[in-house]
Amino acid sequence: MVSPPLWARPQNLTTPPARRQLPCGGPAPLFSPSQRAPRRRTPPAGLELPAARLNDSLPSPLSVPASHPHPSASLQLGAARTRRGFGAGADRRGAGSARAARVLRRGGARGGGSGAMGGLEKKKYQRGSATNYITRNKARKKLQLSLPDFRRLCILKGIYPHEPKHKKKVNKGSTAARTFYLLKDIKFLLHEPIVNKFREYKIFVRKLRKAYGKSEWGTAERLKDNKPTYKLDHIVKERYPTFVDALRDLDDALSMCFLFSTFPRTGKCHVQTIQLCRRLAVEFLNYVIASRSLRKVFLSIKGIYYQAEVLGQPITWITPYAFAHDHPTDVDYRVMATFTEFYTTLLGFVNFRLYHSLNLHYPPKIDGQAEVELKPAEGKEYAMDSESYLEKLSALSASLARVVAPTQEDDVEMDEFPVEGETAEQMDARRKEQEALEKHKKLFEGLRFFLNREVPREPLAFIIRCFGGQVSWDKSLCIGATYDVSDPSITHQIVDRPQVEQQVVGRYYLQPQWVFDSVNAKLCLPVADYFPGVLLPPHLSPFVTEQEGDYIPPEKLKLLAMQRGEDPGDVRLPELERIQAVLLLQRSSACCRATVLHDQ
Amino acid sequence: AVRHSRRGSSSHGSLSFLGLTPSARDPATAVRRRNRGPRNRKKGWKRWAGPEARLGREIGDFLEDVTLQQRVAGGLIAEQPDAGLFFVDTGSAEKGERRKRKNKIREKPLHIDLVLRPDSKVPAPKDILSHQIPNGRKERRRQQFWERMAQRGVLPRSERRLQTRLQNPAPPREKPPEKGRLDPGRSFYDIWADDNPLERALVGQDAWFLQQTQKQRVKRPLRLQQKPSQLPAVEVIAPGGSYNPTFEDHQVCGGDKVERQLRFPTAAEAPTAETVFREQCEGLLEESGDEEEEEEEKEEEEKKEEAVGGAQPSDPPRLLHRPGKKTEQQRRKEKEARELQRRRLKALRCRQQQLFRLRSLGRQLRRWEQELLRRRRAREAKRREMEGRPRRLGRIKYEDPALEVQLSDELPEGSVLHDRFKSLQKRSLIEPRERAKFKRKYRLKYVEKRAFREVT
Repeated sequence: MVSPPLWARPQNLTTPPARRQLPCGGPAPLFSPSQRAPRRRTPPAGLELPAARLNDSLPSPLSVPASHPHPSASLQLGAARTRRGFGAGADRRGAGSARAARVLRRGGARGGGSGAMGGLEKKKYQRGSATNYITRNKARKKLQLSLPDFRRLCILKGIYPHEPKHKKKVNKGSTAARTFYLLKDIKFLLHEPIVNKFREYKIFVRKLRKAYGKSEWGTAERLKDNKPTYKLDHIVKERYPTFVDALRDLDDALSMCFLFSTFPRTGKCHVQTIQLCRRLAVEFLNYVIASRSLRKVFLSIKGIYYQAEVLGQPITWITPYAFAHDHPTDVDYRVMATFTEFYTTLLGFVNFRLYHSLNLHYPPKIDGQAEVELKPAEGKEYAMDSESYLEKLSALSASLARVVAPTQEDDVEMDEFPVEGETAEQMDARRKEQEALEKHKKLFEGLRFFLNREVPREPLAFIIRCFGGQVSWDKSLCIGATYDVSDPSITHQIVDRPQVEQQVVGRYYLQPQWVFDSVNAKLCLPVADYFPGVLLPPHLSPFVTEQEGDYIPPEKLKLLAMQRGEDPGDVRLPELERIQAVLLLQRSSACCRATVLHDQ
Repeated sequence: AVRHSRRGSSSHGSLSFLGLTPSARDPATAVRRRNRGPRNRKKGWKRWAGPEARLGREIGDFLEDVTLQQRVAGGLIAEQPDAGLFFVDTGSAEKGERRKRKNKIREKPLHIDLVLRPDSKVPAPKDILSHQIPNGRKERRRQQFWERMAQRGVLPRSERRLQTRLQNPAPPREKPPEKGRLDPGRSFYDIWADDNPLERALVGQDAWFLQQTQKQRVKRPLRLQQKPSQLPAVEVIAPGGSYNPTFEDHQVCGGDKVERQLRFPTAAEAPTAETVFREQCEGLLEESGDEEEEEEEKEEEEKKEEAVGGAQPSDPPRLLHRPGKKTEQQRRKEKEARELQRRRLKALRCRQQQLFRLRSLGRQLRRWEQELLRRRRAREAKRREMEGRPRRLGRIKYEDPALEVQLSDELPEGSVLHDRFKSLQKRSLIEPRERAKFKRKYRLKYVEKRAFREVT
């Protein structure tokens, strides 16, 4: 028990002389408050008064008025005092009741045994949520890392800041906005071997700087040869214990890799990282082509969204357009590079596993590479020998070599076993779905495309190859062209200019949107809407699934009708709706009006 | 200057001595000088200008001047005949020319100025080496010599060394490739296989031993397998974000946002074709029509003001109570209504108690349960809502990026990099923060260099 300061002991509490003669016969207290009282400095009046008032109102057994006529009460009092072993401090307790009152008022739940019942006083912020969290700076100091290193470590290990439920409790009464981590997470980080590598790297940099400063080139060379490096393999395994876990987190990895692979080699990040990202991204695209797992494409204003179904997991990623980058200033490149560093490692392992699931070589080998190697002069003008492999791979026109050549037996259809608890209807629906999927996978089979030089080659080549089509482009455009424009067997030529001179008979000239829309519609759309120079129908998002009663755009209705096999001619935009739209326009902004009037 | 004038006046008085130098003084003219200071020290003596000292000094000056005159003019100037001292100046052409030339030299601009002129008249230095080879003759002879030697099959030493180096190159310096994370040539393996190299070393050993010797890594807590947010990693943009959207989607997703983007608070303030045209024509046409309109408006306003002004004096003085406050009457009426309600409820309760106590209890219970259910649902809904929201992880709050909408005549825009970064923040994987601002400790001081200032 902490006795209250001297000045807080109210004067009027001092026991009157009658009470000082203890009825239980105990020795007179050595320093009873009454003896002390004259020595004490008189407290300021303002401080004394409330304490006195508190004590008066407090129904404590110790504050029995001394003028109490009943002797037994005094006796009881004395007995209680000796029992608790307070001895001489009993009256002090009475004096401290002001504090006890404060504790009681605050609520007995937390106060527990403090004060009135003795025992240790509980201090604030020493248990509960205040001890479960740790601020970022404290965590950083505990790990002995600089802030950038700490950030990197957290990103690599997948440990993220946590928002406490009661910030004020965690923040020791302060309401300042801070970044908190769970203490257990930080304790887990303490075991990470990479932390040591970070520290080693710091030392390495210091030594290298010193060597350069002293112009000791030999030392600098030696240091650089022994540069501390680390691997993230064990973190990948730790964060994704199973392959499916990794697949579920592939969206981020793919988006990042595709994004970084389009960066210019200008020093925003390491050139090696860019190359690695490019390689991994191309490998994944080749896997998607080989497994025919692409499902949806969406051309948005941000970039191209793709969705593939890999081993039953839907994987969505976004790739930027091949425009020049304007590097935004409010993006922290270091953070992004750290994420990418981890995701490249992850994607490498995932690619390996995916390739092996299809019996493909990893690193990928282009089918019939022996032939290609025999005449290496073919791609000379595009790339050096060291680069031509990746360039050919990223052309996406060649198929990949398999470890074991596919035999006829592989194509034999699997026997179907009914799943337990499945009705015939459900099974039928499932089979139908399966058939539709198979049909979708072979959407462009047998078609031969030719891409004009003005259309985006890579996305189109990727999509066409994903659905079994053959694709080529001008020989001067890119490496890996398989046939020429003049090839009579070409069925579709993708152009993106208002009109085409010298049209060849026997092939459709189409705008690129036809390919994307056909993939989303799961059928080859009628070509008439997509001829060059024709105003295109809108490009609908395949990621929208309309609920019952939602508004469905008329274009989508038309599409649904076509998918059902009906004649789409009878589904038209009602005249009334068109009029309503125009009416709505008059209240809307000018730019939108321009679009629709143009549309009409 | 005071001393000089005094001397001048004194020299006027006596014509006996003509001084050659300005310091020359007629010893006869005595100038009274104040005695300065005590003479009990050497310094005082030196400074003393008493009559003896002055006389001595003046005699010395005089003698000096006499010797100078004798040296220069061959005798005292006072004794010289006029012809020896003067000549008639008829002026000479030669002399004038020289002065002119001198003037010319003075007028000529400095070389540095010439150089600094924008069109320098100073010719560029000649590059002698461009048409002259140093040691040309020697080099030519050497070349001829080596040609002759080459015919005989003898090569110079440097050439020979190059040849040998080409034929047997030195072994390349063995530098192990960087084994780290960024090595593009690194080989991946199946990390999820049973016998992956990561765990191969630990397979088959005692778990307790591994744990105690810290050979096995600490197990990742299960809590960390859960992500902080359930939002998808790649959120697909709304259908209005298509590069070629339907009109309705564009309206739903962007139509109203376009205005926000263009910083028009309401649709009424957004420009229409008419206002745009007006803006373009502004200043081109006479604005007589506008003035008329303005006048009309003014008139209308005046009328309004008159109307208001007319009404004001006739208004009774305002009531003292504030607009939101109830009157006594209202209070009383409300109180009565409350009382009535209370009484009615009490009567109802009594009746129920008497008659349908059991059923009502049941109903109450049901109602209470329903209430609890409702509350639980509300709580859950709120929790779900809070789960989707990005967490507050630092000083700065997460803000959704502005909705990207393509206007009709624009190229597609929107950065994937930005989108990814914002997505990471939204999923509470990283805390939103500002770029560290550069702050200088001291103020910079700008000084224009003098040379530069003079040129401009």
